[in-house]
Amino acid sequence: MEKVPSSVAINTVNLSMTYRSGKLNVPALQSVNFTVQHGEFIAIMGPSGCGKSTLLHLLGGLLQPTHGSIFIDGIDISTLSDSERTAIRRDKIGYVFQRFNLLPTLTAKGNIELAKKIHGNGALGTNGVDHILSMLGLTEKIQFRPSELSGGEQQRVAIARAVVNRPSIVLADEPTGSLDSHNSGKVLEMLRELNVKLGQTIVMITHDADAASTASRVIEMKDGQILSPTFHFALSHSLREAAENP
Amino acid sequence: MENLIAANIRSRPTRTFISVLAVALGVVLMLVIGGIVSGTLNDYLGRTVAVGADFILQPAGSSVLYAFSDASLNSKLAGTMQQVSGIESVTPVLSKFSPAHFGLVFGIDLDSYNKFPGRLQMVSGRASLKGDEAIVDQILAEAKKLKPGMTMNILDHDFTITGICRSGAVVRVFLPLETLQKLLGTTDRVTVLFAKAAPNVPVEEVYQNLRKQFPHYSLLRASDPNLLLAETRLPGLKEFRIAVIAVSMLLSFMVILLAMYTTIFERTREIGILKALGASRNFIVGMILKESVMICGLGALLGICISEIIRKVVILMSPTLQVSMTFGDLLGGMVLGITAGILGALYPAYKAARMDPVKALSYE
Repeated sequence: MEKVPSSVAINTVNLSMTYRSGKLNVPALQSVNFTVQHGEFIAIMGPSGCGKSTLLHLLGGLLQPTHGSIFIDGIDISTLSDSERTAIRRDKIGYVFQRFNLLPTLTAKGNIELAKKIHGNGALGTNGVDHILSMLGLTEKIQFRPSELSGGEQQRVAIARAVVNRPSIVLADEPTGSLDSHNSGKVLEMLRELNVKLGQTIVMITHDADAASTASRVIEMKDGQILSPTFHFALSHSLREAAENP
Repeated sequence: MENLIAANIRSRPTRTFISVLAVALGVVLMLVIGGIVSGTLNDYLGRTVAVGADFILQPAGSSVLYAFSDASLNSKLAGTMQQVSGIESVTPVLSKFSPAHFGLVFGIDLDSYNKFPGRLQMVSGRASLKGDEAIVDQILAEAKKLKPGMTMNILDHDFTITGICRSGAVVRVFLPLETLQKLLGTTDRVTVLFAKAAPNVPVEEVYQNLRKQFPHYSLLRASDPNLLLAETRLPGLKEFRIAVIAVSMLLSFMVILLAMYTTIFERTREIGILKALGASRNFIVGMILKESVMICGLGALLGICISEIIRKVVILMSPTLQVSMTFGDLLGGMVLGITAGILGALYPAYKAARMDPVKALSYE
């Protein structure tokens, strides 16, 4: 078996995913190979239906691949059971969604503390939570429910929830997709700050070329395949097209 | 930490209210109906014991609930029984259910009846039972506003009330034995014979003597209600209690099943979020079960409170009706509510735990 260096956060080997639709097999990912180092901030770009979300769900262990392997911190999660993948997700991965996905019945603080409860005792003490809340500018809003927060504020709470247990990897599925440019800028700035200050590995899906430019590396996808595995700080013509015509 | 379960319960007040109310209804059904059955039975058995007889002789296969028994015992057996060694006194009784006051009336021979420790103790009027005379107890007198000298229609026949006796007597209405026998067309027939052992003679020895003398009759020892309950035949009582508990439980179970099943579909996306955050299947099952137990616990508590109110109202409005609710019954109500909650939530919890997180996250 291929040995994965300890500096590697994510490594996929010939990763393929095929959905079954009636009698048809619909390929979503085909032999995807890429590596993400610890502390990297990468963006995955591509047109709708190119397999970005499927890839993110596979990395998070929410889906089981049809073929290939996914190594998270050196552990091949493609061979694990559902409960083992859940444990990996709980311990090593934080999720940020386009539509925030906060629990509407809980306050901002309740949402963050729920993530701690699910994790166990949480990797951070009260001071750590306060530090993250302060870093994300949420100190004043912790007792508000999601319906009482703006989109940008909700996404900041969602980011706090994703990182409160100090996962080694944060998976962000179009985190700025539902935000205006002002709030998008703020959220991206925060993700960058978390990446730099807390050293968190971030994998972000985006349609937005400006958002992608925040990342240290961009991976371009099309038709379930990776076009450019190491694309640094510059966008190809096809990517710009994809960004302009999502 | 803000509790997710409490927040879920608070955020769906209508569902919570209806579920709590339905569980409460199941508990009320069990406690009140069961309480009326137990209360009436215990009260009746207690008052039977209060006659002070050591033995009750009935035809074979009879029940101590005399409403189920007919008058098939020859009253001459009283004389035979009196001759048995160790017997001090015997009194024959003819019983009949009276729909007018929804209870039994006893036709008695007052002289022999009053030789028993539970003799009629008059609180007003006089102790006389001849012809068309009747004696009623205090509770019935208060409930029906009866006084000595008044006329009361019993079994389509008018009786003059001669006296009011202290409550606690075996029944609430006493008539002359001969009059009741004529009314029912059962001359020389009685329902039961009460007998008392002579002092200083071992009761067990007298029991064995009676057993030898009356081998084909039902002979009960009447010294305490539990013994009487254990020895007597109460047709269908156990089955009735089981049926009431089963209906109550089914009601609570179905309401919780429906409520939690609807809730998990309503919360599909939330379950997807929890899974994405790393919540295990056990965490999700636990969350649904705890929520259900909390709703059912509230329902059971409400049911207990409502049952207690109903008990007080029933006793106030119908003093002759007894509703028994022991600590054990109330505990049983709590257990019923919570058990129904757990059972009703099991399937929805299983469904929630098995949800595909990706589909759940994209659920609109």
